[in-house]
Amino acid sequence: MWSDDAESKVLYVQTHGVNDPGRCATPFFLAASAAAMECEVMIYFTMYGPTLLGKDVIDTIGPKGEQGQPLRYFIEQATGLGVRLLVCQPSLDLNDLTIDELIDGVQMIGGAAFNDLAISADAVISF
Amino acid sequence: MADSSLPAVDQVLDCSGMSCPLPVVKTSQAIKKMEVGQVLELLATDPGVEPDMKAWSGRTGNELLGISRDGDVFHVLIRRLR
Repeated sequence: MWSDDAESKVLYVQTHGVNDPGRCATPFFLAASAAAMECEVMIYFTMYGPTLLGKDVIDTIGPKGEQGQPLRYFIEQATGLGVRLLVCQPSLDLNDLTIDELIDGVQMIGGAAFNDLAISADAVISF
Repeated sequence: MADSSLPAVDQVLDCSGMSCPLPVVKTSQAIKKMEVGQVLELLATDPGVEPDMKAWSGRTGNELLGISRDGDVFHVLIRRLR
């Protein structure tokens, strides 16, 4: 799934969800920075992570609550630079979500694809 | 930036007041729109801008010509190399 067009590949893993807003934005920040450094970048959302991608969620939470930008801002900053977002089916089930309830552009993968991405990445960074 | 040994600046990008990762993101976007050989001057107040721009220029293969500080404002000169 890596295109190998970039010199470096970075895979972020987000396990935290809507119940911990202070942890929602940093993976998007760092992913945006990596993309600006011309790395190929993906973020894999597992455990509670997929809850951050709910269409009805991204405008209602942000890392500093009412102060500062909503989560949408950080997501769009990253995806606007080419960062790709991935989820897996079991973690959607865990959170009673379907792919249709998530924002557009999220790609569904499975454990084998995730492991393959991790093995071939230059760095895997987990939150 | 009155030092005559420094190259002429083709474009100024003011990221004063912006915090990480915006100076890096906006520099990346701005430099892609410039010609190879042209010089961008980034103005930033984010205290992490010096290590960030060293890392960014090293990774992207652009030349960091110099960083100076004037009060709270860092002036970063970058030449597009590729």
